[in-house]
Amino acid sequence: MNQSRSYLRFRLSYRLEHWLLVFSFTVLALTGLVQKFAQNDISIFLIGVMGGIQQVRVIHRIAATMLMLESVYHIGSIGYNLIVRRAHWDMMPRPHDLVNGINLVLYNLGLRAQRPQQGRYTAEEKVEYLSLVWGTALMIITGFMLWNPIATTSVLPGQAIPMAKAAHGGEALLAVLAVLVWHFYHVHIRSFNTSMFTGYLSEEEMEEEHPLELERIREGQTEQPMSGRVRRRRVFLTAYGILALVMLGGIYVFVSFEKTAIETVQPAATQVPRLAHVNDDGARGLMTAADDPGPLLSWDTGVGQLFAEKCTLCHGGTVPLAGLDLRNYDDALLSDTESPAIVPYNPLASGIIIQQNSVHPVQLTELEFAGVYSWIERGAPQQEESQAQ
Amino acid sequence: MLLLAGFGLIFNVHAQPPAPPPLPAEFQSTDVIEFQGEGSPDNEFCLNCHENPYLQMTLASGEVVSVTVDADAYADSVHGQHGTEGYRCIRCHDNNREYPHEEVSATNRRELSIELSTACARCHTDKFDETMDGVHLMALIDGNEEAAVCSDCHTGHEVQRLTDEDTGRPLPESSELAAQMCESCHADIYNVYANSVHGEAVLAGNSDAATCSNCHGVHSITGPTSSSEFRLFSPESCATCHADEELMAEYDISTDVFDTYVADFHGTTVTLFQRVTPGQAFNSPVCVDCHGTHNIVSADDPSSTVMKENLLGTCQQCHPDATANFSDAWLSHYQPDAEHAPLVDLVNKIYAVLIPVIIGAMILFVASDIRRRWADRNHEDL
Repeated sequence: MNQSRSYLRFRLSYRLEHWLLVFSFTVLALTGLVQKFAQNDISIFLIGVMGGIQQVRVIHRIAATMLMLESVYHIGSIGYNLIVRRAHWDMMPRPHDLVNGINLVLYNLGLRAQRPQQGRYTAEEKVEYLSLVWGTALMIITGFMLWNPIATTSVLPGQAIPMAKAAHGGEALLAVLAVLVWHFYHVHIRSFNTSMFTGYLSEEEMEEEHPLELERIREGQTEQPMSGRVRRRRVFLTAYGILALVMLGGIYVFVSFEKTAIETVQPAATQVPRLAHVNDDGARGLMTAADDPGPLLSWDTGVGQLFAEKCTLCHGGTVPLAGLDLRNYDDALLSDTESPAIVPYNPLASGIIIQQNSVHPVQLTELEFAGVYSWIERGAPQQEESQAQ
Repeated sequence: MLLLAGFGLIFNVHAQPPAPPPLPAEFQSTDVIEFQGEGSPDNEFCLNCHENPYLQMTLASGEVVSVTVDADAYADSVHGQHGTEGYRCIRCHDNNREYPHEEVSATNRRELSIELSTACARCHTDKFDETMDGVHLMALIDGNEEAAVCSDCHTGHEVQRLTDEDTGRPLPESSELAAQMCESCHADIYNVYANSVHGEAVLAGNSDAATCSNCHGVHSITGPTSSSEFRLFSPESCATCHADEELMAEYDISTDVFDTYVADFHGTTVTLFQRVTPGQAFNSPVCVDCHGTHNIVSADDPSSTVMKENLLGTCQQCHPDATANFSDAWLSHYQPDAEHAPLVDLVNKIYAVLIPVIIGAMILFVASDIRRRWADRNHEDL
């Protein structure tokens, strides 16, 4: 016996289908379960990573559309195999699968001496495939109802919508758990099955998993070319072409009929605050761009006017807060404050610069701040040099 | 005449005591009147002039402002009741320790109110700090001098106590007082509110019902339209009372309202906006979008926007194509139990059984399979 021989199990188109399904299922599960368990901290984190709930819903819908397109392709693939190639419908459950399943359980329990001999698709695999078909159909139907609640309630009672939501979420949880337990155990944990990557199973794996299939291949019971294939192919492709167009049209209606459940005002691109505020982290806040304080050359040229506009409501008037009176030059520099508000030539020691860099209720704009800073740096002159002379 | 006699006794008056009205020229001289007692000037010293009902000053704008103080009203106020004699005038009017007073810098009546309100900050620093986050002070700094300052709500000399001195909790009468404070500027809204389920209760003396500040906040009051955050977090404001079982039990109102909202599509979306992207603009409905805001009425009221007959119209505000059955998709704040949503309840029950049974069976099979394969391998090894 040639020990190194391997057998084709999944041709490329099957493998591509599988990976498309893996991708869409995973994305749907991830973006769906975070919505089902929306108040969970992990969900909140993931939703943040994915760009917010609106984006999560859009991603969910894109993946759902992918899955529906894949389903249309899959129906065609089955039809082609059955009608054109006249292939054996291996995936269809038959009475002997039930017998195999029962015998497998009994064998595991030690009540049978032999592991049941199975063919191309085992009872375990058929259970998973049928669950997938059933689950996908149910998710598409309930998904349609949630995506198009107005259209749905024009025919069905209103309660159909929360019912669809309950079923969509329940089925999702069931499907994800089933994949994690059933699929992962049989394909990855028990022994790592690489046929979805390579397409092939080794002779030992075939003997272990699919002995009847191996026997059939060895006996040469492979697919036989049959007469009339060209005609069948033409008829099938015409019929399927029409069916596919109908289904694709259905998907188009599905995804485009209503925007009810997705359309929300988009986040504002930029928020222009009317006032300068301090950010949460204590840094200087955003400023309105249009504020140009004009030249802040000296107290008489700009600075005094700026203080009168922005500061003297509190620092001046009846109650100069913190002892600071910014209404005139002398009081501003000599005010009876705890620490000096304005230290000529030393902005970093000046109270007003220190305050502006921390939490102060009224914040200067960037331009104003820069102007005042530079004014103090230049010695906080009352008049411009040319004026003084 | 008593007043006149009093002057001579209490004050060291350099000029002849003036007789109102009008103030004689002598009093308007440059002579300085100083308090001669111990410490700072007491209220009696100030009231000697300021009880004069004709006492006025003219501002640069030409506005004439009465500077008369109603001593009895002040004595009834929270400040007037402090200690044995109440707070002294100079606690707020600090720069008026002697006569002539410092020149008034405010050029008009409004400026004067704004200037004087800054005096409140010296004692009520925490409250003043809160106003710095508030829409009124922001508007003021933005140049709107009509924006409310302390005295516009609290008055100057007749400030009422609104919170319990010991517990710090709002006094029962504060609900009504608060609504009336807001009315002086926001009369249109007040009139709508007064006919709402909350307004009717508050104005009838029920302090359980929501007054303006319960939803809008007090000193740090934010503008409902200036940011989306007020709207975004508004369900929490409603839940403060409507999820309080003890409080709601008195009025036979369900406390499921908040949980059922969060469990539904709209509420889930809103809570996710709150926790993930709180600054973002959104149009998912919050409580007030269906129930109304200032005009909110009982859900049993025939005019209620959430009354069964009116609900579809409310849905159509956002879902204009919705038809008769659509509004039933919302379970009216009921938990989906057998009575209120039998279909939803059935599906929930099916999955509550199906998931543990199927997954449990799978786990049992996997466990038996592992055990058997383990046994087979050991057997082969032997």
